[in-house]
Amino acid sequence: MKPYELIIDHESCWGCRTCEVACKQENRDPDGVRLIKVLEEGPRIIDGKPYFTFRVSTCRHCDEPACVDVCPEEAITKRDDGMVVLDAAACVGCGLCVEECPYEAIELDPKRGVARKCNLCFHRVYKGLFPACADNVCPGHCIYFGDPDQIKREIAEKHTRRPRNPLS
Amino acid sequence: MGLTGNSIPCMHYSRMTKAGFQIHIPRSMGVTEFTYSNVEKEMEVYGYDTVVKSHCRMCHGGCGVRVYLKDGRIEKIAGDPDCPINHGTLCSKGIGATQLVYHPDRLTHPVRRIGPKGSGKWERISWDEALDTIAERVLHYKEVYGAESIVPGYGTGRENEAVIYRFANLLGTPNVLTAGHFCYGPRIATTIITCGTNPIVDYENHPRCIMVWGNNVTISNPDCYKGEPFSQALDAGARLIAVDPRMTRIAARADIWLPLRPGTDTALALGMLHVIIHEDLYDTDFVENHVYGWEPFVERVRAYPPDRVEQITWVPKEKIQAAARLFATTKPAAIQWGVAIEQQVNCADNNRALLALMGITGNIDARGGQVLFKPPRIVNVGRFGAHDMLPSEQAAKRLGGDRFRLAGNFAIINPKCVWDAILFETPYPVKMLFFISSNPLMTRGNAKEVYQALNAVDFMAVSDFFITPTAELADIVLPTATWLEMDYIGDFWKRHGYILPRRKVVQIGECRSDHEMLNDLAHRVGQGDFWWETFEEALDFILRPMGITWNDFNQMEYIRGDVSYKKYRQNGFSTPTGKFELYSTLLENWGFDPLPQYREAPESPVSTPELYEEYPYILITGRRIPGFFHTENRQLPWLRELHRDPIVEIHPETAAKEGIHEGDWVILESPRGSVRQRARFFEGMDPRIISAEHGWWFPENKDPGHGWDASNINILTSNAYEHCDPAMGATHVRTLLCRIRPEADTQGIQET
Repeated sequence: MKPYELIIDHESCWGCRTCEVACKQENRDPDGVRLIKVLEEGPRIIDGKPYFTFRVSTCRHCDEPACVDVCPEEAITKRDDGMVVLDAAACVGCGLCVEECPYEAIELDPKRGVARKCNLCFHRVYKGLFPACADNVCPGHCIYFGDPDQIKREIAEKHTRRPRNPLS
Repeated sequence: MGLTGNSIPCMHYSRMTKAGFQIHIPRSMGVTEFTYSNVEKEMEVYGYDTVVKSHCRMCHGGCGVRVYLKDGRIEKIAGDPDCPINHGTLCSKGIGATQLVYHPDRLTHPVRRIGPKGSGKWERISWDEALDTIAERVLHYKEVYGAESIVPGYGTGRENEAVIYRFANLLGTPNVLTAGHFCYGPRIATTIITCGTNPIVDYENHPRCIMVWGNNVTISNPDCYKGEPFSQALDAGARLIAVDPRMTRIAARADIWLPLRPGTDTALALGMLHVIIHEDLYDTDFVENHVYGWEPFVERVRAYPPDRVEQITWVPKEKIQAAARLFATTKPAAIQWGVAIEQQVNCADNNRALLALMGITGNIDARGGQVLFKPPRIVNVGRFGAHDMLPSEQAAKRLGGDRFRLAGNFAIINPKCVWDAILFETPYPVKMLFFISSNPLMTRGNAKEVYQALNAVDFMAVSDFFITPTAELADIVLPTATWLEMDYIGDFWKRHGYILPRRKVVQIGECRSDHEMLNDLAHRVGQGDFWWETFEEALDFILRPMGITWNDFNQMEYIRGDVSYKKYRQNGFSTPTGKFELYSTLLENWGFDPLPQYREAPESPVSTPELYEEYPYILITGRRIPGFFHTENRQLPWLRELHRDPIVEIHPETAAKEGIHEGDWVILESPRGSVRQRARFFEGMDPRIISAEHGWWFPENKDPGHGWDASNINILTSNAYEHCDPAMGATHVRTLLCRIRPEADTQGIQET
């Protein structure tokens, strides 16, 4: 059981991509390297109903992270608190983790020749600050960070207030 | 901290938590809890030396921000949780503002053009030389051709609107060229003639039903609104109706989505009104006691039964009925609207039909509905704008004022009137343009004609952040300050009832705010008696009725006007009849239809079937994109990364028919011209519709044209007078006919 997780409530995501720019402001990755990105699903009609949703894609901090196993430099470690952290200083940019990640959540920074992924703003969390994308920046209030059980309860409660598409 | 009236909130940093959401971290971390927007910890961890609260202006403005600095340089911008507008959140543009402030291409000193127009040859000059030159031209044209030959202008404005009007009115020119004919001006004009002011959705008190009409509020930030309070109202359980030809995320989340044929909004609204009246779902007390013109209004609505409206709009009548019933029977309810319905031939009537929906359902000035908010007791924009100082004989010369009389009565003009006055000197010559935060080459209809006019005008000055395609045709360009480089009373001109301090954070080069620049220029053209030593005194002047100065306001979070509901029960509405005018006595006096009617778009399968054979698709324009604000921000790396190319959405069936693949550059053509954008497959709209983006130029292209005509959708749009709204003069740029083909088939156009 992880003590805290980054959880996205995709039902409430508007695709405004503020999280992407908040991440840029914090981590200053170069153009083209994105540690969090908002992808689209749809639009299309499924069973006569409109379907169009956004998927926020970032590192899942897997329980059994393939990137940790594949890294020849041991630059990626899974911490006791569940965070999977890539140490850019130890990375040689071989790209094995990029290929291995099933979620396409790791990118190569061609300028610095290192792999980059979301470290869950470990450097902030360690000091008691929310990850940059989760620090109440989201206008849809769809990015949560904390105790996963509590967050899931909160999200479920929110959406019982507004049942999805009862009339369409 | 919602303090109202004259009370003065003091500044402090609250520790905001979301719904009791406090997180406990294992002891091994050495930390016990997180709080949102933790200023003290941000300062300590990053070594910031200063944090300043201010008020963003990357779009129409409004969000409270905290700006963190180190050694005098902006390091981080974050939302301010104490701000009642955005509650600590922000958008990509607000965060990206740092890259605007420090952009290497920014103009940081005045320049004068030394080559031909469009040569890109400039030389640095001093502020004195720049303003003296502009002042000399102003006085010269005023003396020789009359003040009306000088046309100042702004686009969406940098909250400089009232300052520009003050300068123009005191100069004696009735011609201020703004976006007002087809953006927000129509909302102001139509709401004032109908019910006295613009009714604003009361998100704070959670409407139970929200009808989003041609608006993508969560990424577009229309005047007076932010996406965050809308999101909160939705999460609190509001029912949702979406009216949009495209399936936006809002449409996909809606209880009912009405994908109408583009441009048929008035017909759809009148059809919904038909259902509401026919089924007796309206508010009888409001209708009996507070509306004017009920019988003729009902007679007009009778002409729009659901069967007919289905034919016009392509929306099945069952859906129209279901939406009308949901909206009329869920209280309180509100309509979230914006600019899309205004940039059409039906501009004023679109707005008036939606106002009728708000009105007869009893949602006007209702708590949780649409409220006629009172501003704080300050000098309002109308008074500050010195409209009463314009001599009536000069007001009578307003370009197009005798034709577009609704616009003319609100000091708004149609752009083609200015282009014609430059090119043909009809009805009189315009000799000077002064664009202050405007890029009309990209944003006004029929861009080729705009280019001709800007190329032909005798003298043009521009005040902007960069040398834009419009500025490349100027004689002098002034370096203006961003919102992070000025003190101001934010949202001074809005109708949501708040004002918020905007605080100067940094100084960049010789940049000066438009406000300070005009205050200075006013002295140089003999208006000194009506201006101030420095612009800070103007802020004192605006605040004086409240008994405070800028220095006092600078210590506050915000001021909100007194909030109360259903004020019409005591005072009536501020209209000629004192009623909510479904039947507009003012429009009638000005010679227009006093009731809303539906007009077919100037180019459509119905109005121009022969043209439709040649141009077989309905083109809609101006879909909003996160990160950009009309023509702005394409040079900011964090924002351009979100969206690199101009994208035209095309249904895959249509693409297959036209031999277009995803990602292809394609050519879009109308009878006016052609441009290139990149195809993206989009199944969320009728295959007969094509959806193109607006505002595209390419700052990275260092040729002085910056690719202004390559992808500029206004190359395709029409600005013909007969295509404009007859009362408001709104240019019909949102719905036209086009054809589309892969660029590879085109001779003479380079593949990139």
